[in-house]
Formats: sequence, C-alpha cells, structure tokens
Amino acid sequence: MAAAMKFAKSHEWARPEESGLVTVGISAYAVEALTDLVFMQLPDVGRHVKAGESLGEIESVKAVSDVYAPVSGEVVEVNTALPGALETLGRDPYGSGWLVRLRPADVADMAALLDQPAYDALVKSQPH
Amino acid sequence: MTLRVWWDEPADGPCNMAADELLAAEASDCGTVCMRIYGWQPATVSLGGFQRGVDARAERSIAGVPIVRRPSGGGAIVHGSDLTYAAAVPKTHPWGGRPQLLYDALHEAMRQSLGAFGVEVVLWRPAETVVAPVAGERFFCFDRRSSGDLVVGGPGAADGLGHKVMGSAQRRLAATVLQHGSLLLRRNLDVAPAASHPGLDDLIGGGFPAAAVRPLVSAWIAAVAGALGTEVVEESGRFRDEQVVREKAREFASERWTWRR
Repeated sequence: MAAAMKFAKSHEWARPEESGLVTVGISAYAVEALTDLVFMQLPDVGRHVKAGESLGEIESVKAVSDVYAPVSGEVVEVNTALPGALETLGRDPYGSGWLVRLRPADVADMAALLDQPAYDALVKSQPH
Repeated sequence: MTLRVWWDEPADGPCNMAADELLAAEASDCGTVCMRIYGWQPATVSLGGFQRGVDARAERSIAGVPIVRRPSGGGAIVHGSDLTYAAAVPKTHPWGGRPQLLYDALHEAMRQSLGAFGVEVVLWRPAETVVAPVAGERFFCFDRRSSGDLVVGGPGAADGLGHKVMGSAQRRLAATVLQHGSLLLRRNLDVAPAASHPGLDDLIGGGFPAAAVRPLVSAWIAAVAGALGTEVVEESGRFRDEQVVREKAREFASERWTWRR
C-alpha cells in the first residue's frame, strides 16, 4: 500500500495521486466485515461532495451501508466496472477496487484522516 | 445504557419507515439502544433497499398490495401477519460493529424466548451440503437464507433449509445501525399463495395463538436486555408525534424513493 494512503474512521481510504486527484475506496476490513456483497451504487461524475457526506451505497447480504467521502471534492472519475464485478473489492480493495476519484476541494481534509498505524489500531479495537 | 422500547400502533409503510429512521436518530442522540415494536395497516410489501422495482411490478402474487422501500437490504417482505421490530444501536456499542453481531444477538434472544414457549427454532448456518438460495435469485426475503436466520425444521428438513420464520436487515448509518426484522406469525391470507409464507401458527403443532404474541415479545425484549446487561425502559405512548412521522414519511412515499431502482 502507498505510504500516502490515509483512512477515515468510517473505513474509507483516500490516496493522493500525482495528478492532484484523490482516489477513494473502502478498506479491506470494511469489505470483510460486510461479507457477501450484492450491489453497489456510485455517484455521477460531476457531483460535489463534502467530507463525511455519503457518496454512494453498498449492499451486502446483511446490510446496506453508506460510503462516505473522506475528503471534500468533485467526483471526476467513477470505477464503472466495479458494480458489475464486486468480487474485485475483496480481491484488491486498494488497487482495482477503487471507487471514485475526487478533485479535492481542500487539501487540509487529508490531514484530518488517520494514517496507517492509527487505522490499524482502530481496526484492532473493533468488536469481533 | 438502557434498552428503550416503544410499542406502536400499526401504521402504513411510509410512516413505519419514517418512524424507524427517527428511531435511529433517537439512538444516536441519547446514546442508547432503542427498539420499536409495530405492525402494518394496511398489509404492505416492503422492498429491500436496492431490490429492482421492475421485479416488484412483475411479481403478480402481490399485485394491488401497497409497496414501500426499506432503507435496509434484503428481499421483499409481505407485512400484515407478522410482527415487525426496529432496533437502533449506536455504532460505539459492540453490537454496532460487524453486521452479523447485531443480527445474531437479536435472533439468538428470540430463539431463547421461543424455546421458553416450547417452540424450537435454530439459527440457520450455511453448511457445505446445503446450497442456500443466492440472495439475488429470490424475490421474497423468506425464500432466502442467510447466516443467523431463524428457521423451523433446520438442517433436518427435506431441503436442509427449514422454514424461515424470522429474518432481519440492516441500514448502517453514520452513527447508528438500524436493524429491522420480521417474525412470521401466520400465513398472510390477503395475498396470493406464492407471496404467503408459513408462520409460527402454521408450523407449530397446536398452533401459536395470538394471545401468546405479546408475552413472547416481552420475553424477547427481556432477553435482549439481559444480553446487553441492562434494564428495559418501556416508553409510554407512541414513539413520535404523528405529525412529525407523517412529515418524514413523505420521503418514503415518494415515487423517487420507491422506484429508485
């Protein structure tokens, strides 16, 4: 995993790219906790989201969960292949399982996210 | 932390979904587990959050029955001869973690409570020798199986799947987990047979009389409180002012929400 990747407490990850965009996905922990995934709805390109706002939904056998924007920004790319191949999330959640790419509105949003060690500690503290 | 419980009067689909969403907000605001016990008037089909509207329209067995879309996942449920609950748990609580935790906790409490009434049910778990219906293949919730469902018959039934009598589904919100579920009390005779699944009264030798339902639910709530290690606070009156619920219910009654997929 890229060192620059950071995490929201709601288990989304955000990775700044050289292009200036931020790639967003959901963590391996979140994918595993949801169990069998059956449906995903992603936002339209052009949508503006605020950090903490729902940008999509994912349904598993057990639950419908919102996916929250870890940073504010404009949706400029959507992984349109993902809803038709949800197994990708389990196989490669930090690579080909990316959800959207945002043009960030405020670079300070990344600073509010958890780094890898802090996120690992959060995951470890979750009830199993 | 306490377990706050409201017993509400039957209401229509949009009002029930609105009240459940308000329940989730209440749990978040007060930081405790909240439950609502309710029924449906008129009989209503609730669709899972992302069930396809075209499938609902094509399902002739529910033609003419009002439809509401739940915010939670899962399959379609025909309400009217079931007991429905909603439980909202702050995500900071251990039951607010992995989805299966809350599912198993509430279903295990019901299994124990039914056992005290002489009704043997099991928490269904997938086994290698039994192929469960894939979630997306079956329209109705009670034709599907997922880990933790309460079934009568269990692995010993002919198809190894038993008769499902209780299922639940979750909506995981920012601060709370909302879970609602349905315990089938008896077949719903207001819909076609394909949409009507057997309930406790149909499956248990000697039946399960209506008079036993409230004591069963009270025992279940006590069991849930026991598992939480807390006390029950039975709230008086309806959960929310009817006007507040009706205002919120507009969203759930809208075409945009109901046919969003």
